[in-house]
Amino acid sequence: MQATLQAKDFKSDLKPIWCPGCGDFGVLSAIQRALAAIGRPPHEIAFVSGIGCSSRIPGYTTAYGFNTIHGRPLPIAQGIKLAKPELLVLAAGGDGDGFSIGGGHVAHVVRRNIDITYIVMDNQIYGLTKGQLSPTSPRGLKSVTSPYGSLEGPINPLLSVLAYGAGYVAQGTPADMAALAKLIEDGIRYPGFAFINVQSPCITYGSVDAQLKQQKAAMQDLRALGHDSSNKLGAYALAEEYGTKLYTGVFYRKPVAEPTMEGLAAERHAMLREKALPKSDILKLFAPA
Amino acid sequence: MRQDLVIGMAGAGGDGVIAAGEALIAAAAIDGYHARMTKSFGSQIRGGESSFRLRMSTAPVLSLGGALDVAVALNWDDFLRFGAELPVGGRTTVIYDSKTGVATSQIPLTGITPAEVVAVPIDQMARDLVGNDRAKNTVVLGLLSGWFGLPAAAILSGLKKRFAAKGEETVKRNEDAFNAGVKYAQEHPLAKGSTLAPVAKTTAKRLIADGNTMCGAAAIVAGCRFFGGYPITPSTEIMQFLTKELFKYGGTVLQAEDEIAGVGAAIGASFAGVKAMTATSGPGMSLKSEMLGLATIAELPLVCVNVQRGGPSTGIPTKSEQSDLFQAVFSAHGDVVRPVLAPVSVADIFGITIEAFNIAEAYQTPVIVLSDGDIGQRKETVDPFNVDAFPIVERDRPAPDELAAYTRFKLTESGVSPISEPGMAGGNYLASGIEHTQSGAPTAAGSVHAEMTAKRSRKLDPLKKRKDLFQEYGRAGAPLALVSWGSVAGIAQEALTLAEREGLRVKLLVPRLLYPVAEEIYRAFFKSVQGGLIVEQSYQGQLWRLLRMFVNVPDGVEPFARPSAVPISPEELVTRLKHIAVELQRGRMPEAAPVE
Repeated sequence: MQATLQAKDFKSDLKPIWCPGCGDFGVLSAIQRALAAIGRPPHEIAFVSGIGCSSRIPGYTTAYGFNTIHGRPLPIAQGIKLAKPELLVLAAGGDGDGFSIGGGHVAHVVRRNIDITYIVMDNQIYGLTKGQLSPTSPRGLKSVTSPYGSLEGPINPLLSVLAYGAGYVAQGTPADMAALAKLIEDGIRYPGFAFINVQSPCITYGSVDAQLKQQKAAMQDLRALGHDSSNKLGAYALAEEYGTKLYTGVFYRKPVAEPTMEGLAAERHAMLREKALPKSDILKLFAPA
Repeated sequence: MRQDLVIGMAGAGGDGVIAAGEALIAAAAIDGYHARMTKSFGSQIRGGESSFRLRMSTAPVLSLGGALDVAVALNWDDFLRFGAELPVGGRTTVIYDSKTGVATSQIPLTGITPAEVVAVPIDQMARDLVGNDRAKNTVVLGLLSGWFGLPAAAILSGLKKRFAAKGEETVKRNEDAFNAGVKYAQEHPLAKGSTLAPVAKTTAKRLIADGNTMCGAAAIVAGCRFFGGYPITPSTEIMQFLTKELFKYGGTVLQAEDEIAGVGAAIGASFAGVKAMTATSGPGMSLKSEMLGLATIAELPLVCVNVQRGGPSTGIPTKSEQSDLFQAVFSAHGDVVRPVLAPVSVADIFGITIEAFNIAEAYQTPVIVLSDGDIGQRKETVDPFNVDAFPIVERDRPAPDELAAYTRFKLTESGVSPISEPGMAGGNYLASGIEHTQSGAPTAAGSVHAEMTAKRSRKLDPLKKRKDLFQEYGRAGAPLALVSWGSVAGIAQEALTLAEREGLRVKLLVPRLLYPVAEEIYRAFFKSVQGGLIVEQSYQGQLWRLLRMFVNVPDGVEPFARPSAVPISPEELVTRLKHIAVELQRGRMPEAAPVE
C-alpha cells in the first residue's frame, strides 16, 4: 500500500476525445481521486469498459485498461476478477452499453456478487454515434431516431440493480466531483459488487440536464433528506423517482455483505486441492470400470 | 473367427441401451480390444428412443465400420428410427425381443434380408430373474457374451461395480440375468454367428474416453485455469468435466449467462495473465464471433473449442457435422487470420488441445479447436500415453529490465511482442478492440492500421510450416489422393487401406491445422496427384473450396461432401476413387460430382 498516491498518478498521457464541458471529465477526475484515496498502485488495477464516449475512460488512467466491445465490459471484468482476485477491478460504460446491449449481464454480475465497481455514465442519449435514443431516454424525447418523440419509456438503472440484489447502489454527478469521488471510493471499498450511476450530462446532444449548473440546482443529497442507506425499501422508493428527481448519494448499502464468488471459489480451491491428480496421472480419470 | 465386430442396439429411453454399450466398451478395453462407440438419441428429454453402435476389434478402430454384424432391437419402432446409424445388411445377425411379437418375415428392413433373425424372450427373462423389465440390457449383455465370446468376467465385474451401491441382492439378480443370457445363447447356438478372437491378455489396459472429456483433461495439462462457457449440445461435457476437475487445480469455471459472457470472461482471464478457454457448438460460435475478433486485435491468447453439430441455426443438435469450417476461418469482421485446428480422434484431441493452448500463448491469438459431435461424444479406447511428453508453452512476458520502457504492441519482426498483465509494475497498457498504436493508444490512422493488421497476420506465418500438424499416409508418389479432416479422417484412412488392397495407388493427407492454409505442404502433396477426393461431412465441401483459394488443387480432385444424415463409408470412397482412376486412365478428366 502506498499512502502517498495522488490523483495525478492515475492520469495518463492520452488526451480525452470528449467534447469540452462533457460530464465525463468530472467522472474521470473523481475516479482518479478515488483511486488515490484507495492507495493501490495503478498496476494492480484493471479498468474495463465497453464502447461509447464514456468507455474511452480507462485509457485516460494509468491503470491496466481494457476498452472492449459494446455492452460487454462486465463479462470481461468478471473474468479478470475471477482469474486474479487480488486485482482491483473497475468497470465503466454508458447507459446504452450497460442497459441496452449489455443489459443482460448486469443481473448476473450482481447475483455472483463479484467484487467489481461498476460506474455507468448515464446521459440518456447516445453521444458517440451522434444523438440517438438511449435506454434511459425519457418518453417523448426527440432525437435523431425519435424525430416525433420517443414512444418508449426509460429503464430505471437504480431500481433494476437494487432489484437484482446489489449490495451497493449509489448515484452521483460530476457537478459535485468531491462527493462523486467519495461514492466511488466507498463503492471500491464495499466488499462485493458496487454500482454507481453517474448523471453525466452530454452537452452536445444533451436531453434533459444539458448543463452542469442546472443539474447542480436539481441535486438532492440523500443523506440530507434523512435516508438511511441500510433501508432497502426506502431505497426502492427513492429509486422510483429516477428521471424526475436527481438524488445523489448512497441509495443502498447492505449492512452485512454477502460472500463474493471469487471468495467462494478460493474456498473451493482450498477444499479440493488435495484431490488434484498429478499432471502425469491425469489419464487415471479414464481407466475403465 | 471374427476379429472385428460391429454391434448396434436400440430401445426405448429407460431400457438401459446406453448403459449396455458402456458396459461392453469398458469390458472390451479391459480385455485388450480396441473399440469405439457412439450413442444416439431422439430429441426427447426423457423417454423417447436411444441407441448405441459399437465396433470392437483386435486392430485399432478407425471408423464405426459399415453394416452391423449384430443388431439388437428391444423393440422395432425404436430400432427403425435409427435406420442410417444402425444399418442392417446381408451379413447381420438380428436379435430382437420376442415380446414385440413381430414375425420374422414382417420386419420392415426395406428389402434387406439379414443373415439371421433371432427372437429371444428378453423381457420375459428379465422379469423372471430380476422381477422387472429393467434388466433387459443385462440379459442382452449375457446373450452377446454367450454368442460372440465377449469377455464375461470383465462385463460381470463392471456390473458388480455399477450395482454395488444398490446392495448385494441387486448385484446378484443382475448377475443372474447376465448368466441367463449366456446360458440361453449356449442352448440356442446361432446358425451363422461366430465368436470374436480373444485378444492376448498381455495387452496393456486401455483407457476409455470421449473427446469432450479428453479435451478438458488436456486443457488442465496445458495449464488452463479459467473456463467460461454456456451449456450447448454437443460440447457441454467439456464444461461439466472442468467444473468437477478444474477447481482442484486452483482454476475457476464460470457457467455464464450466455455464450458472449462465457467467452468474454475467458478473454478477461487471459488479459489478467491466466490461460483460458471456452467451448461451444455452432450457434454459440455465432454469438462468440465478435469476442473472437476482440481477442485477435487485443492480441490475447484464448482457446475456443467448437464441437460441431448440424446447422444452420439450431439445426440438428444431436448429429455430428463438419460444416463450421468457413465459420471458424472467416466469422469475424475485418482482416483476421486465426489458427484453426482439428483433432482426428478422441486420443488426438488431447494433443490438439494442448497445441491450441501452445499456439494461443506463443502467438497471442485466439485459436479455434474444430472438434465435432462424433469425436466429442463418442467413447473410444485409448492406449495410455505419456502426458509429460507434451511441451507446454507460456506467453512471452516482458523481462523486468524491459519494463522500464515497455511498449505492449511493439512492431517486431516476428509480429509477437512481449505481453504484460495486471499486477506487473511498469507493464501498464491499454488493451482495446479499437485499432491502436504500438503503445496501445487508440488511433484511426490508416497507416497504423495497415502496420498492425500486417503484424497480427504475419505472426502466424510460421504455423504454415508445421508439418507435424499434418499426417500423410500411403504411397508418396501416388496419382490418387484423399484429403480428409476431423472425425471423418479415420474413414478416409480405412478407405486408403481398402483402395490399396484393390490395387489403386492412393495417398491420404490429414490436415490437423486447417488455417492458416499451409500452402507449401499442400503443394508438395498435390504434386503427383491427378485425381482424388476431399472428404468431409458437409454439403458445400468447405475444405475443398477453402483449399482452392490458396492452392492449385488438381482438377481431378473433387469434393466428397455430405451432411451428417448418412455417415460416409470407406467403401463408397473406394468406389468413387475407382471411378476417378478409370477416367484418368482413359485420359479424360473425370466427371466432377455436382457441387452447389
